[in-house]
Amino acid sequence: MNAFGQLVLSGILIGSIYALMSIGLTLIFGVLRVVNFAHGEFLMIAMYGAWGISHLLGLNPYIAAIAIVPAMFLFGALVYWMIINRALDKPHLVVVFATMGLSIFLQNIALMLMTADLLDVPPIFSQSVTIGPFYFKVELLLGFLITILCTVGLQWMIRTTYLGKAIRATVQDGEAAMLMGIPVPRIFLITFAGGSALVGLAACIMLPLFSVFPTVGLNFVLIAFVIVVLGGMGSIEGALLGGICVGVVQSLSSYYVSPALGQMFFFILFLLVMIFRPNGLLGQKGAANIGMND
Amino acid sequence: MSIAEPKPTGKARRLPILPQRGKVSLFEILLLLVCIGLVAVGLSPTLRDVLLLTFLFAGLALAWNIAGGYAGLISFGHAAFFGVGAYTSTILLVHFNVTPWIGIWCGGLLAAVFGAVLALVCARLRGPFFILSTLAFAEVVRIGALNWASLTGGPEGLSISPAPSLINMVFTSKTTYAALMLGYAVLVYAITKALEASRYGYYLFAIRDDEDAASAAGVNPQLGRTSAMALSASLTGIGGSLFAQYFLYLDPTFVISPEISFQFALLPAVGGLGTAIGPVLGSFLITPLSELLRSNLGNAAAGLHLVIYSAGLIVVMLYFPGGLAAAIGKLARWRPFS
Repeated sequence: MNAFGQLVLSGILIGSIYALMSIGLTLIFGVLRVVNFAHGEFLMIAMYGAWGISHLLGLNPYIAAIAIVPAMFLFGALVYWMIINRALDKPHLVVVFATMGLSIFLQNIALMLMTADLLDVPPIFSQSVTIGPFYFKVELLLGFLITILCTVGLQWMIRTTYLGKAIRATVQDGEAAMLMGIPVPRIFLITFAGGSALVGLAACIMLPLFSVFPTVGLNFVLIAFVIVVLGGMGSIEGALLGGICVGVVQSLSSYYVSPALGQMFFFILFLLVMIFRPNGLLGQKGAANIGMND
Repeated sequence: MSIAEPKPTGKARRLPILPQRGKVSLFEILLLLVCIGLVAVGLSPTLRDVLLLTFLFAGLALAWNIAGGYAGLISFGHAAFFGVGAYTSTILLVHFNVTPWIGIWCGGLLAAVFGAVLALVCARLRGPFFILSTLAFAEVVRIGALNWASLTGGPEGLSISPAPSLINMVFTSKTTYAALMLGYAVLVYAITKALEASRYGYYLFAIRDDEDAASAAGVNPQLGRTSAMALSASLTGIGGSLFAQYFLYLDPTFVISPEISFQFALLPAVGGLGTAIGPVLGSFLITPLSELLRSNLGNAAAGLHLVIYSAGLIVVMLYFPGGLAAAIGKLARWRPFS
C-alpha cells in the first residue's frame, strides 16, 4: 500500500510537469485551432538554451528561466510571423505539414550544432524531501508548485484581464471579435508566442530531471498530445488533469507491469478517450470539431 | 431519356501530354520508359541504391495517397502497416520457411486488417484528432513489436540470412531489386489510376470533400473510409515486405518509427495530394536528393540533408500548397504568347 501511495504521488508530480509542457500546446490549439507539430522541438531548443546558460554561466536552470522564457516568446513570435501566419488561411493540411517540416528542421539543426550526445546539468538538490512515509525529489515538488501557480495565474489572466477577454472572444467567434475592434491577428501572435514561452518555462523545470538531445522533443510531444486530448483541446485545467492522469498511469504501469509497456498504456488510454470521449475529460461540447474547417 | 453521347473529337482521343485523371498520358509512358532504362543501364552501386529506394518510396507514397489524398484520411501511422508487412513476411520466412512470394501477400492482408481496425477505431474522428490517433496507433504497434520479443526479436531486431535465391526473394544483384521495386511502384500506380476513374474513386472524392452530402447521395462514408484505409494499408504492407527483403534486417525502432510515417505523408504532400503523379514526383525529387545529400555530406554534417529537405518542404507548403503536380499543371496552362 505504501508503494502504491508513493507511486501515485510521484505520478501526480511528474504528471504536473508534463501538464506544464502541454499547456502551451493546448492554448495555441484552443485559440488558433492549429496543431503545432513542432511543439516538442520548441521544448528541445529551450532545454538546450537552459543547458547552455547553466553550463557556460554556472547558473542553475531555474534562474535560466528568466532569460529563456522571454527568448522563447520572441522565438514563438518569429515562427508565427514566418510560418503560421502564412498558413492560417490555407487548408488545414498546410499548417500540419509546415509545422512538421519545422520540427524536422529544428531537430536536425540541433543535431548539426550539438551532436547527438545526451547533455545533463549537475544535480541541484542532493537530498529528497520526506513527508510522512513518502519521499519526493525536490525538483519534482518545485515543478508541481510552479505548474499550479502557472495554471491558476493563466486562468486568472484569461478570466479577468482585457487580453484574456479578447482571447476568449476570439475563440468564441473570430469574425465577431474582429468587428468589435479586437485585433485578432495580434491575439493569435500573442497566444502563439505565449504558448512558446510556457514551453520555455517547462524546459527549465524539466532540464534537471531529463537529459537533452536533438530528438528529445519527439518523446515529449507525443505525451503532450495525449494530455491535450485527454483534457480536451484548449482547456487549461483539462491539461493539468490530463497530465496528472498520464503521470499516474505511467508510474503505476511501469512499476506493476514493465517500464517498456508503461508507455503503451497511455497510448491505449489516449485511443480509448478518442473513441469514447472525443471532446476530452473536461472538454466542452464540440471541442472535437475544432480544426475541421478545411 | 437518352442524351446523345458527345462524339469524341480527334483531339480528345489523342494521348494527353500531361497526366489526367483516369487516362494514360505521354508523360507517364515516357517516365516509365526512363525508369526501365535506368534499371537496365549499369549505374554505380550508390546510384542504383538511390534508384531502388526512389521506386520503393514512390510506391509507398502512392499507397499513402490512396488514404490521405483520395479519401482524406491523413494518417501519420502508416509505419505500423509498413512494419506489419515487413515483419509478417520476414517471420514467415525465418521461422516457418515460407517463401516471401507468398509471405508478401500475407503481410499485405494482415496490414489491411490493421488498417480496417484503425479506420473503425477512428471512425468518428476528424481533422487533427484523426491525425493524432493514427500516430498513437502506430506507437502502440511499435511498442508491441518491441516487447513481443519471441516473435519479432524485440529491440535486437530480426535478420534474414537465407542464401540468395529466387525462391527466398534475396538477390545478389541490385538490378533485380531495382526491377522488383519498379514493379511494385507500377503496380500501386496502376491501382491508383484505376481507382481514379472508377465509381469507387468518385465515392472516395465525395466522402473527402463533403461527407454529409455524400451520405445523402447514398454513399456509405464508413464503408468507403474503412476500405480505402485497408487498401492503402495493404499496399504499404507489401512495400514493407519488399523493404525487408532488400535490407535483410528489421528493428521496430526504425521500421515503425514516426519518422517513417512522416516520410510517407510528406512525399505526396510535396508532390501533390490526391493526384496519381504527385507522390511519384515527390519521391523522384526528394528521395534522391536526401539520399545523395546523406551520402555526400553524411559524415561532414549529420542532418544537413534533412535541414535542406525540411526547409524545402516548408517553402513548398506555404507557396505551392497543391504540390509539384499543381505547379506543373499551372505551367501547362501558361500561355506566354497568346
